[in-house]
Amino acid sequence: MITLLKGGRLYDPAHNKDGVQQDIYIRDGRIIDKPDATEKIGQAYDLTGKVVMAGAIDMHSHIGGGKVNIARMLLPEFRTYTEPEAHICTPHCKHHATPTTTETGFRYIEMGYTAAFEPAMMPINARQTHLEMGDTPLIDKGCYAMLGNDDYFLRLLHQKADQKIINDYVAWTLHATQAIGIKVVNPGGISAFKFNQRKLDLDENNAHYQVSPRDILKALSSAVHELGIAKPLHVHCNNLGAAGNFETTLNTMGASDGLPMHLTHIQFHSYGTEGDKKFSSAAAQIAEALNKHKHITADVGQILFGQTVTASGDTMQQYLNSKLAHPKKSVLMDIECEAGCGVVPFKYKDQNYVNALQWAIGLEIFLSVEDPWRIFLTTDHPNGAPFVSYPHLIRLLMDKTFRNEMFDKLNLDAQAMSNLKSLEREYTLYEIATMTRAAAAKLIGLKDRGHLGVSAAADITVYTDQADREAMFSKPDFVFKDGKLVVKDGKVIKVTWGATHTAKPVFDNSVERGLRDYFEKYQTIQLDNLKISNDEIADNGNGRIINQTID
Amino acid sequence: MSSNIQIPNATCPACGLLCDDIRIEDVTAHNACTKGIAFFSQAIANPQPLVSGKPSSLEEAVKHAAGILSQSLRPMIAGLSTDIHGMRALTPLATKLKADLQHINQASLQHNMQTMQSAGWFTTTLSEVKNRADVIVCIGTDIVTHNPRFFERFVWAKNAMFTDPNTRKIIYLGGEKLDTMHGRECAWVLTSRIADLPDILATLNALLLNKPLKASTVAGIAMTDLQKLAETLKQAKYAVLAWAAKDLDFPHASLAVQQITNIVATLNQTTRAAGLPLGGSDGDYSINNVHAWRTGKVLPDLTDAKPDAQVWVNSFNADAPPSFCHTPTIILGNANTPWSNHADVFIPIATPGLDCNGTMMRVDSSISLPLKQVRESGLPTLADVVRKLEALLP
Repeated sequence: MITLLKGGRLYDPAHNKDGVQQDIYIRDGRIIDKPDATEKIGQAYDLTGKVVMAGAIDMHSHIGGGKVNIARMLLPEFRTYTEPEAHICTPHCKHHATPTTTETGFRYIEMGYTAAFEPAMMPINARQTHLEMGDTPLIDKGCYAMLGNDDYFLRLLHQKADQKIINDYVAWTLHATQAIGIKVVNPGGISAFKFNQRKLDLDENNAHYQVSPRDILKALSSAVHELGIAKPLHVHCNNLGAAGNFETTLNTMGASDGLPMHLTHIQFHSYGTEGDKKFSSAAAQIAEALNKHKHITADVGQILFGQTVTASGDTMQQYLNSKLAHPKKSVLMDIECEAGCGVVPFKYKDQNYVNALQWAIGLEIFLSVEDPWRIFLTTDHPNGAPFVSYPHLIRLLMDKTFRNEMFDKLNLDAQAMSNLKSLEREYTLYEIATMTRAAAAKLIGLKDRGHLGVSAAADITVYTDQADREAMFSKPDFVFKDGKLVVKDGKVIKVTWGATHTAKPVFDNSVERGLRDYFEKYQTIQLDNLKISNDEIADNGNGRIINQTID
Repeated sequence: MSSNIQIPNATCPACGLLCDDIRIEDVTAHNACTKGIAFFSQAIANPQPLVSGKPSSLEEAVKHAAGILSQSLRPMIAGLSTDIHGMRALTPLATKLKADLQHINQASLQHNMQTMQSAGWFTTTLSEVKNRADVIVCIGTDIVTHNPRFFERFVWAKNAMFTDPNTRKIIYLGGEKLDTMHGRECAWVLTSRIADLPDILATLNALLLNKPLKASTVAGIAMTDLQKLAETLKQAKYAVLAWAAKDLDFPHASLAVQQITNIVATLNQTTRAAGLPLGGSDGDYSINNVHAWRTGKVLPDLTDAKPDAQVWVNSFNADAPPSFCHTPTIILGNANTPWSNHADVFIPIATPGLDCNGTMMRVDSSISLPLKQVRESGLPTLADVVRKLEALLP
């Protein structure tokens, strides 16, 4: 049976379509060419005048795994309403910071997002991460596996192991944990903190292993590149949140010798030390460097005001941040000679100088980075703000008058330290479609997602063009997932289950010999039990695996 | 157990450690502790569903259970001794029945969750303990009562990356009649009444913070000993403070857990230290985690609940009696449950890790491990039974 979406205006940057009126035909969950006149159209939707985009893709959102669940456990006060039926939900409700797995799937798809990627899966915690994502309906998902603070890797680096061995270890990890990318968090720093180091700069050595973050970035970015997976190394830089950290960020851009790297939640890494409060915006320097270094991509990690919780693998920095916790409590963990985690609730206030400036810094970066194919829309959910605030963020980017009105309400000292009002740019629908669809799919390597070409998966979102972009992006008219109509007028009407996207590059499995020996000596589970089987993802039919490495 | 079964790496769910190095050959579970051996060698005493003590078909028993539950206004699903997949099957049933949920280890879970939710904590995991810990303080517990292989696997290990296992300092602080043999003869034992732990720990923290104290003893422990303990902790590179919430069986026990987390926080200002909540059995960590991701919250404290019907789910611990007497009771339980005749409905179910595959979370909450089927019992899984039951409910 064929479904026809008739007469919509397509915003499909992968095919340079900027509001082109065009019909879309769908069969068996895929977009097809216009069929013969003899073929029967089962269902037709008149989309005349509507805005049609591929389903949006969140390339960095903490939606599953240990630290997300710790946040849920830590913060019962985020869900204190006693009568769920009587609860009137707004984007400002605190429970969006700790959504259930079901809410995660529902809220994403109701905003027109059809995929989200968990960016910080510890290999040892991969099973729980996939279990939680297996309980997340409707959307596609995937994970970036965290390496670079694990003792196995640091030992290899310390022993100056051949790059091929590191490549094979990285590939082995992708396979074993069913991941699509590799992330490094505070390279070397999470490990260093376990040895009581409290700070680690790019060229400072982890005291035990005598290797620097730069060494780690070089080895991992080379591995990812040489394995040929699409997703560049996902980098959470050293010194997150510290005043003056922009220099670390600028230097990090050079650490891969020109190989691709993605710097994540770069807003948290764009701080200077100017002014009376020794905290200032370095957005201009960061944006200039991003414009210049074509091998670097970044997502912003915008903060928005309100109560949320930060959940990070960066134990070293989260330990420092725990002093600022609101409410005043936090959970920190050292985990399994692999990494760690820090869960710290935060309340961002527009009258707080630092918070107000963080808000402005994020927007300054969005508006100053020229190429929408290399900058991505994220709030680092839930760290900067819950993902349900994306429509609000899109309005801030597309509507200068609205943005400036918001800016005028900020802490006055922060206003004086920001050039935001001098930035005239307003994002276009085409640019929004680029950063939230086409570019995200290209970055992660999702060949059949993020575009509306023939043979693409029919993940399609239909909006009514409205001047109020927040209203528009909050409530799509229709969302199709793999060709099935799942959302109508912003509400889920059908529950389906998405796929898990993975990358499975070829590699030399003899790397497992060294790993097996290491596990027997030092780890506390059997190596084979770290591996996530295909059956576990399939979960009796709710899940399925898509290997995006196959050409 | 039938003969000729060879499983090279079974996982043992008999305690929270989930040892996954169990080699099963014929009828012997190699590497297993006494709890593990008992687990793997348990018989199947009663594979037959019962309705009011009389043998019944599975279909009849499920139908009878559905009848009881559809009459109930305040049902409770209690026990909850199952694995992750069992709990994933139970949550839609609970939603449909509007049933409350309560785990068999609710009280000890509560001590830990209350502390975590009031001030948070800094904890560690078993591989970190094995490779890093140079000082281990067992607070109010000998650990081995709950987790028999703790010392064998994580303390006196042959290899450790960052410390010499043989020079670790083991200290038992508080509690009586502990089995301290596993801490070896050089272990330092400071006994006290268990209920005095909050005072002892508060004093230790005061000493760590260099507060002047005039007392010469606290709850029978000499101040000079506590001072020496404080120095040992300060000098440690990576001190681990372990407790088992089940052993803190006194009113306001969460005060003790809070003091432990305070001490860890004090130590982390200058050196490295972490807490280690131990115990963990009957799937308590697994169930709490699934509940959190499915509902956004931890399992609630419902000690005062008065259900008018209960579903008692108990895959692992056959001997634990159902929570609520004088209440219509449906047992979905281990085939060796001694109370099966007394329940309105008894349906024997497969035990994960023995009769069927499963997935469970280890005591340190960071690792989930696959449980493997090691025998053919023909018993239905909890999920099978729950699905049948759900289909009969309005």
